[in-house]
Amino acid sequence: MVFVSALCLLVVVTRLPPRFEMDATFDPDLIHAIFKMVWSRRAERSEEIDVVDIEVGAGTAKKSRPTTANPSALRVSCELLRLFVTEAIERTAIIAEAEGIINIEPTHLERILPQLLLDF
Amino acid sequence: MDAGGVGGAGDGCFEKMETEEERTELLRDRFRLSVISIADAEAKKLGMQVAEPVVACIADLAFKFTEQLAKDVELFASHAGRKSVNVKDVTLSAHRNDHLTSLLRSFSQELRDKEPKTERKRKKSSEKGETSVPG
Repeated sequence: MVFVSALCLLVVVTRLPPRFEMDATFDPDLIHAIFKMVWSRRAERSEEIDVVDIEVGAGTAKKSRPTTANPSALRVSCELLRLFVTEAIERTAIIAEAEGIINIEPTHLERILPQLLLDF
Repeated sequence: MDAGGVGGAGDGCFEKMETEEERTELLRDRFRLSVISIADAEAKKLGMQVAEPVVACIADLAFKFTEQLAKDVELFASHAGRKSVNVKDVTLSAHRNDHLTSLLRSFSQELRDKEPKTERKRKKSSEKGETSVPG
């Protein structure tokens, strides 16, 4: 009896996560962190170049202000990346279905990759 | 003595690079986890199963795409004379694909409808100035 109820609980628990994942997307903070990493890398590089050939003080002062992103821009970026991932899965699924296989294999990804990269 | 000083400075630089590398790895891992959850959800919706290498590959591609996107939107913003990235910059980055652009546009519209702002945005005209980027 206890075992059965425990099993039911287990089923409920294992079934819960997919419902939350229905509209799974990226965390805007994570994307922001990646953006900031790329921007700081770029800023460092451009500073190195500046040291060599620029003596204008005002220019460097302006450039030293880092790039920022507003929250809704980050949300839209997350949506763009989510579309990239879902599109990749959907296209591979179409190829796999055409071959009559349920498992999506790397060969299916290879087939759709060129067009996917052109489309994004 | 002098060589020791130089070596120390070099080590510091190396250490800094290493920590940056670690941070990148951490972000990459977190990103990969998000991609896995999204891909699994999508596959479940379609009633398919995705092999592990496929998801890993997609995660890697998406990460590179994110890096490229970061560079793009930064350039677009700086071209517009701004230091902060806008929704418009992100939509512009998808301008090669009309369908994608319209999807992003409707998404941003939805976002705006969901959170209506009472305060009106004012344009900062004080930030105008000639760009200092040569070449």
